[in-house]
Amino acid sequence: MTAVETTETAAPAGDIPPALPPAVTGGARKRRRRGSAFDRALPYLLLAPALIAILWLIGWPVVSVFVTSFRQLNLGELVRGEIVWTGLDNYTTVLQDERFWEVSLRTVVFTVSVVGASVGAGLGIALLMRVLTPWVRIALQIAMLCAWAMPILASTTVYQWMFDQNYGILNKTLVQLGFDSFAGYSWFSSGSSTLSVVGLLIIWQAIPFLAFSLYAGLVGIPRDLYEAAGIDGASPWQTFRAVTWPEIKSLLMMVTFLSTLWDFKVFAQIWVFREGGPSGQSTTLPVLQYLEGIAKSHFGVAAAISVLMMVILGLITFQYLRKLLQTEEGKI
Amino acid sequence: MLKKSAANVAGLALALFFLFPTYWMITTALKPKGSTITSDYDLIPFSVTFSNFVTAWTKPGFLSSLGNSLLVTLTAVLAAIVIGITAAVAMSRFAFRGRKSFVLLMLVAQMAPFEALLIPMFLMMRDLQLYEHLSSLILVYFAVTLPFCAWTLRGFVNGIPIELEEAAMVDGCGRWKAFQKVTLPLLGPGLVATSVFAFITAWNEFLFAKVLIRSQDLETLPVWLSGFQTAFGTDWGGAMAASVLFTVPALVFFLIVQRKMVAGVTAGAVKG
Repeated sequence: MTAVETTETAAPAGDIPPALPPAVTGGARKRRRRGSAFDRALPYLLLAPALIAILWLIGWPVVSVFVTSFRQLNLGELVRGEIVWTGLDNYTTVLQDERFWEVSLRTVVFTVSVVGASVGAGLGIALLMRVLTPWVRIALQIAMLCAWAMPILASTTVYQWMFDQNYGILNKTLVQLGFDSFAGYSWFSSGSSTLSVVGLLIIWQAIPFLAFSLYAGLVGIPRDLYEAAGIDGASPWQTFRAVTWPEIKSLLMMVTFLSTLWDFKVFAQIWVFREGGPSGQSTTLPVLQYLEGIAKSHFGVAAAISVLMMVILGLITFQYLRKLLQTEEGKI
Repeated sequence: MLKKSAANVAGLALALFFLFPTYWMITTALKPKGSTITSDYDLIPFSVTFSNFVTAWTKPGFLSSLGNSLLVTLTAVLAAIVIGITAAVAMSRFAFRGRKSFVLLMLVAQMAPFEALLIPMFLMMRDLQLYEHLSSLILVYFAVTLPFCAWTLRGFVNGIPIELEEAAMVDGCGRWKAFQKVTLPLLGPGLVATSVFAFITAWNEFLFAKVLIRSQDLETLPVWLSGFQTAFGTDWGGAMAASVLFTVPALVFFLIVQRKMVAGVTAGAVKG
């Protein structure tokens, strides 16, 4: 509740009044059921297009990915239209493959680092923004907006240019600063180095959303709470623990959860830099799924990988939704 | 006082960090041909030319992929908004059996991991004979954005007191007219914010655009730009000019709704 109100009363960059009408004015605004058959059917008629679309374009693929994961489906079977059931073969293939475990571990480490760094930095910047002089804050907000708005493929291209081996501005700057060994240094010669650059790119583009959301949450915290803490002689850290933290905890949990979902699924940036290379060292689960399924046409095996990805994401989502529904129950 | 100026210095340093790639993209795009690939230290450009933009604009594939991207994105978002708003109104204005399940379905669908549905989507589009056809992308982007639109718009509709509509109906409006004259105009800002967010999602999408479309004539802009090295070689000036042209529509939309967007996304997601 508090998180909702705070995000809505706060306009990130300053003085324009919030455009939304105050959202939560009380629970029920449902229309009484009326007599006529049309009136009773109306909500279902309104929902029908969305429902059909979701069942067809999301529900069916979800069923289909499970079914496909129990089939042997390579290019031959696909062209001939054969249906060959193989039971759990695809799963044993995937789970016995050492590379799968290596890739899974890499994906988890990558996701956790990127989420941790971007949420931490986002919170730090949000806290910083509160103490900045207004013109500095606006400058920072405009700069973050530029990073946020850049399409992923554009920013990936720019990062490729900045990290270019011979003419990239980063290597040239490092050489200017006296680190001569960076002349002609390749940032993409190993998987961990490649993923670090990709991670930096993702963090750089993720921070603005996080900082804006958290700042909006911070601005909404009533001033008198801070005044009270000041009168009680609380240190900055105590103020943060006792006043700020409880007020933004649910918002922080939400953006952390969203970031986890987004960063786990990253494909474009990793693929465009080195197509999961060099020699597969920057391959993550979404890249592995693409390589198996689309590049090698092993659709059954790839579907098994997809299912395993969905299980991981599903567990995270379930945990989060359970918490969300516990706190917000009765308002759905 | 000292503390405050230290904070301001940190703030300005961060602003530079966030701004630099944009600055570097634009200045590289404005540099004359010979002076991009150079070992000189050239942080500030001394001569400016627009020839890179002409190069990018006239590269084979740029205009057609720009057109494809616009067509696919706008069609999908329009459909998602229209269908999303009817669902949002149903969820927020009516009491009916199964309403809670619908709302929950929408919430879960919004979090569906689309990337993990790549294989079944590919197989489905192939079965429907839509593989290599832009309508397959329209369908995917529509499906990606629809639950988000419905869910977020529901939050915005909830924010408009139903009493306003009821007052209009007392004054003799029908239900549709009351919605059209009262709720729809108040929904304006929410509609803009929601559609821009959906637009950005579809405008950015890469994986499905790469998998479902193989032929060059039907490529969207992200896929075309990902292969810029085939188009530009090491012509970084041209590649940066193309990136600028790709960024402009997104940036314009962003600036229109920036303030409402944060509120929209978080409010829509939290509000049960």
